[in-house]
Amino acid sequence: MTRWLVAACILLIILWYLSFTATRLDRLHHRVETSWANLDVLLQKRASVALEIAHSDIADPASSMLLTAAAYQARDANIQNRSQAESGLSGALGLLLEDAEHLTTAADSALLTELSGLTDKVRVGIAIHTDAVARTHMVRNKLIVRIFRLAGTAPLPITYEFEADVL
Amino acid sequence: MLNRSLKVGIVCPYSWDTPGGVQNHIRDLTEFLIKAGHDVSVLAPAIDESNLPDYVVNAGKPISIPYNGAVARVLFGPVAFARVRQWIAQGDFDLLHLHEPAIPSISLLACWAADGPMVGTFHAAAKRQKIIFAIGPILEPAIEKLSARIAVSEAARLTLTDHLETDAIIIPNGIYATRYADGNPQEKWSGNAIGFIGRFEEPRKGLSVLVDALPVISRFAPDVKVFVAGPGDPEEVIESIDPQLRHRFEFLGRISEEEKANFMSSVALYVAPNTGGESFGIILAEALAGGACVVASDIPAFDDLLGHGEFGALFTSENPTELAKIVIDLLRDEEKRKALASRGKAHAQLFDWTRVGDQIFSVYEMSMVGSQKVGLASDTRPWNRFLNKEEKP
Repeated sequence: MTRWLVAACILLIILWYLSFTATRLDRLHHRVETSWANLDVLLQKRASVALEIAHSDIADPASSMLLTAAAYQARDANIQNRSQAESGLSGALGLLLEDAEHLTTAADSALLTELSGLTDKVRVGIAIHTDAVARTHMVRNKLIVRIFRLAGTAPLPITYEFEADVL
Repeated sequence: MLNRSLKVGIVCPYSWDTPGGVQNHIRDLTEFLIKAGHDVSVLAPAIDESNLPDYVVNAGKPISIPYNGAVARVLFGPVAFARVRQWIAQGDFDLLHLHEPAIPSISLLACWAADGPMVGTFHAAAKRQKIIFAIGPILEPAIEKLSARIAVSEAARLTLTDHLETDAIIIPNGIYATRYADGNPQEKWSGNAIGFIGRFEEPRKGLSVLVDALPVISRFAPDVKVFVAGPGDPEEVIESIDPQLRHRFEFLGRISEEEKANFMSSVALYVAPNTGGESFGIILAEALAGGACVVASDIPAFDDLLGHGEFGALFTSENPTELAKIVIDLLRDEEKRKALASRGKAHAQLFDWTRVGDQIFSVYEMSMVGSQKVGLASDTRPWNRFLNKEEKP
């Protein structure tokens, strides 16, 4: 009799642990999605601010061209090429803003403030997203998750390798 | 920027009525948020319920446990857990901000119990502890629920990555820089005066290093005086000082914020000889904001805060000879002292609440994207969902 009780207890604990891990994984998948959506919105915003800067007086024709191209590339890139495209946009913005500080009018400096505010947010967004992805990978690699297929049909999140100089 | 007013719940792990860095930080943050028009409730343990501000909800009486080389007054247990759950259920919060959620406290309990947007701030800096192998698997699923993690310094971030393999955004502790900016220099603290503020009885505050350095300093600067401010009984410290040098020390007891501002703008040098256990060093930020020239030990937190020596002089920790050398050098060279102090004062603006508060709020906004309000985690567990469905057809 006791043997059956112990077995039942162990079974219950295993079931509880499976349910607990599944909930945990579900939460992580949800987090990956929301943090990516958030980051995506921020990056899109950054691209449109970059376009505005390209059309403003801050940019000379040559850098305006470069910036416009980079901004469109960043907007249209698919998820695999996104990181590279965003780095390109950061580079173009960096080139332009390096020596643009002296020629700003009030309207232009508002644009630049908006950009620097966005940059700060993007940095936080990247930190949150990469952490969520790394965590998800870690949990999905656990033996128990793989044996019982707790991840279900959720796609494995793509590690979004931001290069160090992305901002 | 979000324009609507938020309902924020903040959990303080340590007893509200014992003085401490975390408590001060939470108090200032809460006041900043309330001023910005948000609705804030702070859950904290407290010994004496009568003296709490309106925004603090008492979670119960704390117990003292040894933690990280000091005694921490924290609270946990089944009764506290029920209290935390009740606070979360009734609060209807948009976001929870948990402080120091990796120690056994109501912060950890809240992290366990809640579901939804949560931000955690890690204050402590500690060397890697072996015990983490045992408690890591318990902590990890809880810490993982935080949508964003903040560390108050590089040292705190490294502690977090070492122990729990997760990264954090660094946002420094805040000060009200303007409160310290215009102190009136006082005659009584002028001249070759060295300032020290802190609980000098604690060995890790390092007053003994300064005491050991004084014989050499007084040989080269005969009129040097040391002013020690902070709570504690000076009797024992005075015993340890060479009788011939005792008259050079003056103990001021605890001083008010206003006096602190005056103190920082008067003394020739502010010395922080701490030997460790500091994660951020808020007192240095205050000293810099008050326009003092700072000399500090090179423990990681101070080294970081002083920009590796750019905004204040550094000496090898627990080395009185080097401290004496730097102090003498600076006391003799007023130009150098002034230059260091003015660079420091400009740097201290980085820690002003207007800036730090905005940074924290921007993390709040990020963590709230796409999530609903804060609820109890138990409500969303599959079997409870199943049971609730049975009850309410």
